[in-house]
Amino acid sequence: MKGRALTSDVLLGIAPIALMIAVWQALISFGYAPATLLPPPGQVFMRLVRQLGNNEYQQDIAATLFRLFAGFAIAVVLGVGIGLAAAASPAVNAVVRPIVRVLAPLPKVALYPALLLLLGFGHESKITLVVADALFPILLSTYYGASMVEQKLIWSAMAAGTPPRQILFKVVLPAAMPSVLTGCRIGLVISCIVVFLAEMITSTDGLGHVLVTAARTFRAVDMFVPLITISLLGLILNGLLQWLRSYLLRGFPEV
Amino acid sequence: MMSWRMLVSRLAPLLACLGLLGIWQVGALILDTDSFPTAIDALRAVPSILTDKESLINILASLRRMAIGFGVGVALSIPLGLMMGRSRAVASFFNPLLMITYPVPKAALMPIIMLWLGVGDLAKTLVIFLGVSLPVVFHSFQGARAVEEKMLWSGAAMGLSAGQRMLRIVLPSALPEILIGCRTGLVLALITMITSEMIARQSGAGNILFNALDMGQYDTVFAMIIIVGAMGIGLDAAFEQLRKRLVRWSEPRFDLPLSFS
Repeated sequence: MKGRALTSDVLLGIAPIALMIAVWQALISFGYAPATLLPPPGQVFMRLVRQLGNNEYQQDIAATLFRLFAGFAIAVVLGVGIGLAAAASPAVNAVVRPIVRVLAPLPKVALYPALLLLLGFGHESKITLVVADALFPILLSTYYGASMVEQKLIWSAMAAGTPPRQILFKVVLPAAMPSVLTGCRIGLVISCIVVFLAEMITSTDGLGHVLVTAARTFRAVDMFVPLITISLLGLILNGLLQWLRSYLLRGFPEV
Repeated sequence: MMSWRMLVSRLAPLLACLGLLGIWQVGALILDTDSFPTAIDALRAVPSILTDKESLINILASLRRMAIGFGVGVALSIPLGLMMGRSRAVASFFNPLLMITYPVPKAALMPIIMLWLGVGDLAKTLVIFLGVSLPVVFHSFQGARAVEEKMLWSGAAMGLSAGQRMLRIVLPSALPEILIGCRTGLVLALITMITSEMIARQSGAGNILFNALDMGQYDTVFAMIIIVGAMGIGLDAAFEQLRKRLVRWSEPRFDLPLSFS
């Protein structure tokens, strides 16, 4: 019974995507859109498959992934670290809170010109931008998650003789884990978006650069290919994070 | 004693601003390169941008596009998210589509949309609309899914129709979550606004920023960064005021630090 419900869910979910592709094809078949503006889906997917086997394109994907992972990893370490520290110590909280309130709503893309001027056109400026954008969702949800931890848990750990430092990592962090992982998920999506944008603005490699070069020469087919690739990458990474989440949260009642 | 404390906590964001500007100033003095002006130089360039009529028109045009994109996005996304949260069929219909489109940077669609709609307001507003929609849909979805069944049952028992239940029970109880989504949407709207103008390079705040970068007018670059940053902080603060007023009943007590001692 449950299996059948699941298959009908999957079928329902595929419907709008199939519909979208059908409309896309129909627009071209009935001559509403010239192929130079909207290439047929078959052509786009053929090009995607061919590009995925292409060495140069693989290197572009690798460059994007490297920046994405480096930025995201730094953001997770910093975000979880600062978030926990702010939740645990009132002194850190007093310093971090106002700074976060000022920096979090700042549109970080606007900082990119400054980063370019300071760090140059290489990996550093792009990774810094990814860190700046992915940091705050992770930091905020770690902080909220950690400050919502039940005080009873901490008291029992203290009664059992756990030193304060260990309480932080053995009680507070695991108890805040669902919230931390939600923050990581938002951070990951934002990292995908930002790394692509940074590469579109200035770069010599990466998926964003592929899109910009295609746009400059009006090759519509090649404009769709990197977009679909980043969407696939996002899906795969999201799936991995989901798997990690169900592994890390295996003891929690509802996930 | 208490009022002194209140004063400090009220002024804390301002102090943080001053502190960051101070770090910038010191950093610029140490590095001492042409491409990194000091904070004071950059601040000095701000009034000249804000009094220049053309730049002002550009910035206002940006804000107008953002407001329209954000407004339409929120108005369409909340009903969709709420319906997804209450009906399993609607959720499984839209969910995969949204999952696929979420990691695509909406501003990256700009070159393609420009091919279809031109470089005008319509293309940019559409891109902002797309950027705002997804987080709002997701959070409304989560919020509507978490509504307590019992409240809906009692609503139904008291004779509320499905539409009334949606409006009087689901919407208010999902509101805190929806507003979190709107806040994310607001930040994303600003990001998308800047990037779309940077790609279309025809008008707007992003255009001024990146043109100044290309021409090496570093004072203007950093002054624009300050202006855009102030816009972000101002909009966020205004939204936060609105949010506090709407959902004061649901505020958890975040201010209590965990006690370790």
